[in-house]
Amino acid sequence: MNPNLVNIHLVNSNSTHHKEDLPGDFAIWIFIFAEMLAFGVLFVAYAFTRANNVELFNASQLTLSRTSGAINTLVLITSSYFVVQGVAAIKRGLNKQCAHWLTGAFLLGGVFVGIKIVEFHAKFAADITMSTNNFYMFYLSLTFFHFMHVLMGMIILACIIVKARRSAYSAQDYVGVETGASFWHMVDFLWIILFPLVYIIR
Amino acid sequence: MKYKSQAVAKLYFIAAIGLFLGQILFGLIMGLQYVVGDFLFPAIPFNVARMVHTNLLIVWLLFGFMGASYYLIPEESETELFSPKLAIITFWVFLAAGAITVLGYLLVPYASLAKWTGNDLLNTMGREFLEQPLPTKVGIVLVALSWLFNIVMTVLKGRKTAISLVLSLGMLGLAVFFLFSFYNPVNLVKDKFYWWWVVHLWVEGVWELILGAMLAFVLIKVTGVDREVVEKWLYVIITMTLVTGIIGTGHHYFWIGAPAYWQWWGSVFSALEPIPFLMMTIFAFNMVNKRRREHPNKAAVLWALGTSVMAFLGAGLWGFLHTLAPINYYTHGTQLTAAHGHLAFFGAYALVVLTMISYAMPVLRGRAANPERAQIMEMWSFWLMTISMFFIALFLTGAGVVQVWLQRLSPTPMSFMAVQDQISIFYWAREAAGVVFLIGLLLYIGSFFVKGDSHAFE
Amino acid sequence: MSATFTKSMARNVFYGGGVFFFLLFLALTFDTMKVLPKRDNSQNITPAVAHGKKLWETNNCIGCHTLLGEGAYFAPELGNVYTRRGPDFIKAWIKGQPTGVPGRRQMPQFNLSDADIDDVVAFLKYASEINTNKWPPNIEG
Repeated sequence: MNPNLVNIHLVNSNSTHHKEDLPGDFAIWIFIFAEMLAFGVLFVAYAFTRANNVELFNASQLTLSRTSGAINTLVLITSSYFVVQGVAAIKRGLNKQCAHWLTGAFLLGGVFVGIKIVEFHAKFAADITMSTNNFYMFYLSLTFFHFMHVLMGMIILACIIVKARRSAYSAQDYVGVETGASFWHMVDFLWIILFPLVYIIR
Repeated sequence: MKYKSQAVAKLYFIAAIGLFLGQILFGLIMGLQYVVGDFLFPAIPFNVARMVHTNLLIVWLLFGFMGASYYLIPEESETELFSPKLAIITFWVFLAAGAITVLGYLLVPYASLAKWTGNDLLNTMGREFLEQPLPTKVGIVLVALSWLFNIVMTVLKGRKTAISLVLSLGMLGLAVFFLFSFYNPVNLVKDKFYWWWVVHLWVEGVWELILGAMLAFVLIKVTGVDREVVEKWLYVIITMTLVTGIIGTGHHYFWIGAPAYWQWWGSVFSALEPIPFLMMTIFAFNMVNKRRREHPNKAAVLWALGTSVMAFLGAGLWGFLHTLAPINYYTHGTQLTAAHGHLAFFGAYALVVLTMISYAMPVLRGRAANPERAQIMEMWSFWLMTISMFFIALFLTGAGVVQVWLQRLSPTPMSFMAVQDQISIFYWAREAAGVVFLIGLLLYIGSFFVKGDSHAFE
Repeated sequence: MSATFTKSMARNVFYGGGVFFFLLFLALTFDTMKVLPKRDNSQNITPAVAHGKKLWETNNCIGCHTLLGEGAYFAPELGNVYTRRGPDFIKAWIKGQPTGVPGRRQMPQFNLSDADIDDVVAFLKYASEINTNKWPPNIEG
């Protein structure tokens, strides 16, 4: 076989599928970019507001349940690991395994939502709202905004699970799985910043 | 034109341009009243002139949107319009309703107009931009529904493209959010809160879908770039519009009695609102650079690029200028708001309608493009109107900055009217720019009557 | 740029993003409606205030003035006029229009009865007591 031909072939396939490409569809990355930007600005706003009200923020922070926050962090990191395994499975063309891993991630998302609802409920029961003070404004805004992202991520995972169960993906065509996985990792990543920022740093 | 029924668009475009002229004339009257306070008083008090000015704007833009969709939907769907007859009836109903309403504003004291038109049954009048009497508001809903019905039925029987889908969604949103104009609680805070569901969710929400669809259509036509490319970017851009613009509504909730957290939500998301406009600018220039054909209608290309740039400047940049709560605290309700309003409405919506007219009107008149001389005149009118509107915005920005300083920031704040006297030089300059704008508009209208060798279809 | 960028995914993201942010907006609106009674001075809405608001609307006051910063920018802010000028000044002012001073901006004569003017003042008083996060920056509006 002519080595040049092989080279050309390799070059061509590289140009259509770079190794260093963002995984998943570019459209979701624009969305992820916008979301990160919005969260990023809110994080910076939090930091600045906190700098001007350190005592208020520290005092209010003590009322948060760090335990449930920490558990939720573990839950989301584990779920992200499951999603990684799900993507690895589909790259080998294993629809069923992929669906199993993603179902695990979905259920962990459910655990996160459950714990978060308990937390929210405790705050609302104590008559704490976004209008109570600046700390709670940020705490509730950031965590609720993130909470909605978890729900959206779960809906996306559910769609992918349904498709994977129907064996709609293959070792060649798994962009859909990667797209959803990218979104889920963003949700996880945002929480990993959010948790120390709002629950821990004093 | 490819489909006979597209011809109904012509009526709509002519009406749009006529009402546009009316809008500008009343704008000039108001501009003069800013400096010669008793001009035309008591025949046309300022509040009446302003009502006519803003309502004509809304109505001519709606005529433009409707005409544009009656033109582009048959072409997108590759089928005749569901009912050209309905489109023509709707046109005359809307025009008559609009004309009677404006005459009502001009000839009858507003309070009497309210009484005679059933405002006692359901209070909806007397709120900014929603001054229309109850029957007119009902008429707008009916016209919008008839328009939506006609378009959706056409789309359903033909090819379904992203452009027609986005346009239909925009129209649906327009009709749905207008329904909030019928909700006017005594509670002033709630009144204002939901008033913005019409005004903001229109101009920084669903209207942008219509704008995006119209611009995408013209770009496909004049550049010959692959539809797939244009349509996926259309989706991405309007996604960003909704992501930033819906929560961005919060920038109107800072000082009207709504909870303080809107200052954060509103500032953060509306600060991102320029992004979709910037994307639109880059996208439009990219498409034109990558064009696969030289369309003979160069004027239309100019309008399209102009729309993308001026929408970014007016809606994006001038909006960003005063959208952050700590800044808006001082600028809220000053001439800065007026500067932004003028440049944004002109840059985004007036220009996109003119883009569509510029592209479609020659085709409706049986040629690919107008004669060179007509196009040159049209391009002159583009530059005259665009530059003078830019200067109007600059002068109003100057007026606003000085107003904020004298009235709100200075250690010895002056009263509103005393400040107005101090900044009258800006208002004179604005009026002069307004006259140039009128000349540009007259030139534009004149360009339709220039004869010569027009470009035939290829 | 990523190798894959499909129209169908762009469309899905558009639908998903649009619905997502609209739901978020509804959630915030829901919270706002719950908080409003503490801020909007609605406990002081009397029949006089309601009638005053109607007069405010049916005489198109917003066509020249601003109210809480919204409206036309041709005439003074009236959200805080009650505190700035007081009831008697407002009543005399409305009755005394137009001033007829050559070249000055003119406010029309709306021919309101004394009772009507009282209601307009009641409405402006109600408006001035809404919690606006300390806007306007000073009494001049």
